[in-house]
Amino acid sequence: MTKLDELMKLPGAMAAFEFRGSGELLEQRIAYPDRIDESILDLLAHMCAANMSIATMQARGWEKVTTMTGFYPVQEFTLIGFDWSVVVSGLHREQYKQAGKFSLPPFMGVVMANEKADYEAAFAILEQQEPVP
Amino acid sequence: MSMIRRLLALDGVNVVCHFRDDGYLIEGYGLMSHNDMGRLAQFARDYRRMIQGNADQLAMFTNMRGWTPPRGWIVRGVTQSVCGVANLVCVVDSSGAPLNEILLELREVSHW
Repeated sequence: MTKLDELMKLPGAMAAFEFRGSGELLEQRIAYPDRIDESILDLLAHMCAANMSIATMQARGWEKVTTMTGFYPVQEFTLIGFDWSVVVSGLHREQYKQAGKFSLPPFMGVVMANEKADYEAAFAILEQQEPVP
Repeated sequence: MSMIRRLLALDGVNVVCHFRDDGYLIEGYGLMSHNDMGRLAQFARDYRRMIQGNADQLAMFTNMRGWTPPRGWIVRGVTQSVCGVANLVCVVDSSGAPLNEILLELREVSHW
């Protein structure tokens, strides 16, 4: 079972998706096509890619100005909307970077309904270790 | 006792700050200097506004309801995460902290 399929088993999961660092949607699973479709996921992926970059800049700056550590690199970003949440992860990309790889895996994310959302479970799936080839 | 201070009783919560709409720190507690709490409050206010703008644009471009107004955000680093709900911001441990409970508590406290 792929990680996207695992994410779709989360309570309230509406969609799971993969996207490039530049935001283009690569692959997706959609539970409720009447509510969320590929074009919405594509825009959401672009928004998440932008936010990962901004959060990374902020974590970098924060560590420099405060001398605190542990914020950089940013592993996940979550937007909790009014009814829906999106959680995206770039953790595996970081693992590839640290291994000296130039070709990086995609970001991965899940959209969940807030009333059932389990953020800890989403992070647990997104942070499962995978071997770097 | 301050209402927000009770958030520090939750496992993994290291810092909690309450700020005004202009980002001015009203009160903050935890393992951080007062100066850094002021910075954190300003950052959280700016980040909240940015998230609001993003959610508004997402809703406008997609016609999908349910994203706005956003309730909060989480930026998760290697060992430290930052969570914001309304005019509250927390720094929590990335591993082991009961994030679901912390978010519920933040939402409840933000209504006081």
